[in-house]
Parts: sequence; C-alpha cells; structure tokens
Amino acid sequence: MSTNSDTPSANAAPSTAPRTSDPDRWRTLAMKYSTLVVLILMFAGFGLFVDRFMTVFNLTNILQQISILTIVGCGLTFGFAAREIDLSVGYSVGLAGILVPLLLVAGQPLLVALGAGLLAGVAVGLCNAVLVTRIGIPSLIATLATGSILFGVNFLLTGGRAIYGGLPDAFLQLGQGRWFGLPTLAWFMLASVALSWFVMERTVFGRYVYAVGGNRKAAELSGVRIVFYRTAALTLVSVFAVIAGTLLAARLGSGQPNAGERYLLDGLATVFIGMTMFRPGTATILGTLCGALFIGVINNGLNLIGLDTYVQNIVKGVIILVAVAVVSRSTRLNLL
Amino acid sequence: MPTDADATCVRLHDITMDFPGHRALDGVGTSFRFDEVHGLIGENGAGKSTLVNVLGGSLAPTRGAIHVAGRSVMLRSPRDARAHGIAHVSQEGSLVPAFSGAANVLLGDEPTRFGGILRSRALGERAQALLTHWFPEASIPLDRAVDSLSVADQKVLEIVRALRGEPRLLILDEPTATLQSREKAQLWSIIRSLPARGVGVVLISHFLSEIKALSNRITVLRDGRQVGCLKAASVDESWLVDLMLRRDAGDGDGDRQRAPTAEACAPGPVVLEAQDWSVGEVRVPHFALRRGEIVGLIGLTGAGHFEFARSLYTREHIASGRIAIDGAPITAPGIRAMQRSGVAFVPDRRMENALFADGSVTANLAMVHPEFATAGAGVVLRRRTERDEIARVVSQLGIRRSSDAQNVSLLSGGNKQKVSLGKWLYGAQDRYRVMILIEPTEGVDIGAKQEIYAHARRLAERGAGVLIASSDLLEIEQLTDRVIPFVQGRAQVPIERIDYSEATFIAAIAGAAT
Repeated sequence: MSTNSDTPSANAAPSTAPRTSDPDRWRTLAMKYSTLVVLILMFAGFGLFVDRFMTVFNLTNILQQISILTIVGCGLTFGFAAREIDLSVGYSVGLAGILVPLLLVAGQPLLVALGAGLLAGVAVGLCNAVLVTRIGIPSLIATLATGSILFGVNFLLTGGRAIYGGLPDAFLQLGQGRWFGLPTLAWFMLASVALSWFVMERTVFGRYVYAVGGNRKAAELSGVRIVFYRTAALTLVSVFAVIAGTLLAARLGSGQPNAGERYLLDGLATVFIGMTMFRPGTATILGTLCGALFIGVINNGLNLIGLDTYVQNIVKGVIILVAVAVVSRSTRLNLL
Repeated sequence: MPTDADATCVRLHDITMDFPGHRALDGVGTSFRFDEVHGLIGENGAGKSTLVNVLGGSLAPTRGAIHVAGRSVMLRSPRDARAHGIAHVSQEGSLVPAFSGAANVLLGDEPTRFGGILRSRALGERAQALLTHWFPEASIPLDRAVDSLSVADQKVLEIVRALRGEPRLLILDEPTATLQSREKAQLWSIIRSLPARGVGVVLISHFLSEIKALSNRITVLRDGRQVGCLKAASVDESWLVDLMLRRDAGDGDGDRQRAPTAEACAPGPVVLEAQDWSVGEVRVPHFALRRGEIVGLIGLTGAGHFEFARSLYTREHIASGRIAIDGAPITAPGIRAMQRSGVAFVPDRRMENALFADGSVTANLAMVHPEFATAGAGVVLRRRTERDEIARVVSQLGIRRSSDAQNVSLLSGGNKQKVSLGKWLYGAQDRYRVMILIEPTEGVDIGAKQEIYAHARRLAERGAGVLIASSDLLEIEQLTDRVIPFVQGRAQVPIERIDYSEATFIAAIAGAAT
C-alpha cells in the first residue's frame, strides 16, 4: 500500500489527469488529519489545564498504559485490514494472562510458559478462523461465541480467583522493568508497531491482507488465497492478544481472570479512531497507534480530573460512535 | 463447432531459404488468410521478394512447409502455385506492350478454334467479361495496345489476368510504386474489394501509410527473419518503422519480442479447450480458443454466454466439464489453479468483482502479483521497483490518475476498467496465455474503449487467446476474429469474421441462424 506521500511518477500520464477539485482535496485532508488535530488539541488542553498531566512521570505512565492496548490494537488492525472483527480478543488477553502465570506458579520454566501462552493464542485464532472461513459464520458472530467460551474457560482455570505469588522475577521484569530509561512495555509496544507496520506496508503479505479486506470477491477472482489470509489475520489478532495478556500479567504481577475484558472495547476504539486517519476507512498500524494515544490521553486526563470510570466509559462509547460515523460516511465501512 | 482456421489461409511453417553465402529467409512462419489484405514489409534485402518467390513457386525453400487450405503442398513452379490458388503480380510488369488489353488479360488462355486460330471477338468479350466481373466500375478500353494505357490501368489488367484462374491468394508486389496519387486511390479500392470476394491479398509496398490503410494484418521482415505479425489496426507507422529497422524503442531485446509475435500470426495452437461443459442451463460440448485469436461470445440476456465465460475461469457450480490449458488438463479445483496456469479474468461490474474502492491505484494494480516488486524471497516489497512497474502499466494502458496513491474509487469509469485490466499486466511478465473478459467496456468512454481494444489486440498478437463476452455488438464486430452466439444456453455455429454484420449477429442470437 503506498502511503500518502506518493508523488506522480516520472512516466505519469500527461497532465490531462483529472485532479481532485480543491474542495475535495480540502475535505480529504481534513478527513485524514482532523483526528490528529483533535489529539494534539486534547493533549495541549490537558497539559495546560491539568496540573499533573505534563510531567515525565505522568507521560511515562501514559506510555505504559497504552503499550498493552497498542499491542492488542496491532492485532486487531490485521483483523480489520482483512475485514474480520474479533470480539473474543479481550478474553484471549485474559486467557494468556491466566495461563502463563498458572504454568509459572506450577513451576514450569519461563520459556515453556511463554511458549504455551503463544500456542494458546495460535489455537484460539485458528479456531476462530475455521469457524469463519470453513463453516462460514461471520467473524462478528463466531468470535462473540468463542469469546463467551473463553470467558468460561478463564473462570474454570482460576476458579474466579486471581493467581499471584511465586511468579519469577524474570517474568515480572517483562512488565515492570526498564530498558534504556524506558519501560519494557514501551519497548514491546514499539517492537510490535514497527514489525506490524513493516508487515502491513512493506510486504506482499500485507498487500494481500488489504486486498482480501478491501474486496474479498475481487481478491478471490485475482487468484489470491483468501482463506489463507483471513486465517492468518484472525490468528494474528489472537497472537497479539496473548502477547498483550502475558505482558499484562507481568505488569500486574498476577493473573486476573477478568483483566483482559476492557481491551475489547478499548482495542476496538483504538482501531476505529485509527481508521479515521491517514487512509480513511482502512485500518492502518500508524492510525491504530494514534488511536491508542487518543484513548490513553483521554483515560489519563479524565482520571486526573477525577471523573468517574462510568463517565469515562460513556465518553469512550461516544468517541467510538463519532469515529465510526465519520468513517462510514465517507467510505464503505462494512464489517459484516 | 470450431472450424479449422487452417482451411481459410495459406500458412507458412519455418520457411528458410539459403543462398550461397547468406540466408535470405530464416524460419518465417506466418499465414495469409483468404479474407484479408496482408501487408508484407521490410527494408530492401529483408527477404520480401524471396518470400514472395517461394510463395509464388519460383523458388523452392531450403527448409519449411507450406499449407494451402490446411493441406501441405509443394510449389515447384509458378504453375504449381497457380494450381493451388496462388497468383503473383510482379513489380516489373508482365504485359506485352504491343498487345491489346484483351490479349494481355487472356495471355496463355486465348479462345481459339480449330486448334490455333484466334477468335478475336470472343477474346474481347471474355476479357471484358472478366474485367466487369471483378471490377465493374473500371472502364478500361481493352482493344487498345496496353502501352497506350495509364500505368494504373495496366496494373489493373495484370491483376485481372492473375484473377483469371480464380486464385484464393493474390500477391501484389509494389503495385502502386509508379502510380500518381489519384491513380493509387483507384487501385486501392480494387485491392480492398478482393477479400470480400474470397481472394486474399499479400501486399508488398514501401508506403507504410498504404500498408496501414489497406491491410488487416502486417508481417514485418528484417534480415530474413519475421520480426512481427501484427493487426494493422493496432499499430502505428512509427512502430512499424522501428520494427523494420530494429529500433525497438524501449524493450531493446528484439529477439525476445519476436517469439510471441511470430507465434501470433500463424493460426495458433489451441490454448484453452473445454469439453462437456455444463453449468446451470449452459451446455457446451466443445470449445477451443487458439493462441493469437480473439473470440467473442454473444447472446440475449440469459443466453448463458456470460455464465459460460465466467465459469471457464471460476469453475463455480459446474456440473461437468473438462478443461485444459495448452493441452494440460487442469484437475485441481478453484480459481487459483486457473490463474496459476495462465488464465486471466477481467470480470464485469468492476467495483464489485475487480477493485477495492478504498484502495489506492497502486494497491489495486498490484493485487495479483505484488510479489513482482520483491527481491529474492518474495516477501519484502521494494518501493522503487513497485513504482516503476506501476508507471509502466499506467503508461501502457494510459491510466489517468492524479497520483498512484489516489483511491481507485475516484477514477473515471474508463480508468477504473483500465486498472481492472492492469492488474493482469502488473508484474505478469507475459505469463497469461488466456484472457477472459466480460463486458470489458461497460460504462467506459469512447477514448478508453479504443485503448482497451488496443490492449486486447496486443495481447492476442503476443500469442494469448482472448475471449470476450459482451452485449456490445459493435465491440464484438470491431475486436473479434470469430463469434460464438449463444441461444438458451447452447453454443451455436460460430460466425467467421468474413460474415460479420449486425444483421448476422442479431439473427444468430435470436436463434434464427441454422
């Protein structure tokens, strides 16, 4: 996918090319960057009017808060790019957040526990994909059901109680340590974003994922293996989710059966906000990163102001609605 | 049923002619149809005269074969050639100057009585009858010595003499070389009238504009080799000059270019063959598409021609059927198997079936072969390679867009359709041997239509088989070599180019043709 920086190449057709008329151009520009402007205004606003906002401590805190969310968002972006939605993503976060600590507490080596978490993610993703591509259940519905199943599994595994105590330091370091002055979580986030961005924008795989999501019929008629790419996208959603879940458990220092739930709504919000930017209507990694910043700044700012979490939920719901409304007015957003 | 294309042409295979010290012809393989004017061009010494002499029976080739109407023949003499329906009007003129027009026309076949006494009245009458038969509008006094006639009239008389034996193919070597422009026009209309009467013309001329104006197809020779066989409608003179002089601008590699075009000229081998095809209400016992030809499918709404064309590619819902590409049966199911064996498909309703609206021009064009722009492993895209390939496709198809990043949904209908075609050009590296198009110019402006047609012709010239299902009869008439009408799910007798007319088409799709 070429980015918005492309200029007409040397061999471009003669200047008879129809230029987008000026109002259109402004509208596209406004469309592409209005969310970014809102984000910056919001940031400046909190900075000016909320005392403790613009401090190194708080900004690092925001970074840490959005790290896990961004990792979930990267996965969801793959899903959305292939036009697959995963409503089980929060419970996948929760699954890893339980499974890995459970194995560690049971005395398994760290690598085994981490590997098992990853495998669980692959397994969940493949299950979702089989339901969607082979049986033909729309992903919205299939993952709603698998999410419910995972929710149950998570409570069965833990009996509804948190798992804590006896987690090795090496594991806790993953979520609480610092490398080169930045929280480890921020590094994981940066790595996820960089890798995902590269795969989406600079590889054949990314091209095909976007093609499959952009017009499945057209991709199929072009000989693209759509089942493979839909499966891969759904699997990546779960894989990123279990990575996020593992890091979440490391950060919290415990396995909480319901810690992952909020990542469904926040993750979706992140991607939807991202879809208003850069290539409107299309989920992009950079858009998702901005979306996560958006959510992070709002959460943090409203917290500092002292707003109730219920009110925060309302605010987020409204933001999602606005984002989706903006996107679907100008593009062919069609998730089912 | 597929008629054998060989039956309506003289076909040369691998004609090679060695003279002491040099090879005048090297593996020429082309075909001259009985329903076309076929231009033969090349520089002096390129081998045109040698080829014509081989065809006219004056020279026996060192190697190679000649088929006339599908049968292999040996042409040992001009007489042999004439017996096989090939007549030759040489450049120099072969009239006896002092003889009358009538005597020249019937030279060698004079009506006599008592074994040798000339019947001069019958001579005049028969010559006049021949002249009027072939060229009713020509008024040439046949009783005068030919050296008192204009050069153009002399040429007409030579042609009439050549037509005397009812040939299928007439070779005209520089017929207009010595004519004034007004006289040329007269001869042009005579040449043009011949294919419709079942006489193919091989036209040699140094005037490229003349070749271009008169010919249906053009074979280009250079240094004894066939460097191109092209549909005249799809080339311009500068391109022909480049081919003749080996100034292959751009591509550079003339030999690589030669192979597919040479192949295109002969009625190519079957590239796609379907048998016992049954999908929905459509039953087609046998269908064959040859390399280098453009076949049209027409029919009324619901006649099944679109379903048939589509099903050859998708093989969705087929009840029975076997399909082979270049003789190799495709047994693996699925669209991808067809695509990988070299079949490209440009569907109708492009926004639904071919493009993704929120994607850029680049993303859409690179949908089929994004891996073209990768280095080695086929994973990581190189943006420069990609941009260059996009630029190539964009300029070849004349896609007008404001930038490569522009959303494809913002393009005009014609440019969208070009992107839909361009998908199969981007990074394809000539791998597609069959192209199936459905309603290729639906909602497309006239300029873009012509560019799309030119692209289809180019594909055929390069040796692909092109199948077009369309409800635009004018398009079918302009573009295709033969047409298969469909009536209620059944393929009817094909209509050959020579029989094309709107009336024929309409009668055929209405089921009135037998």
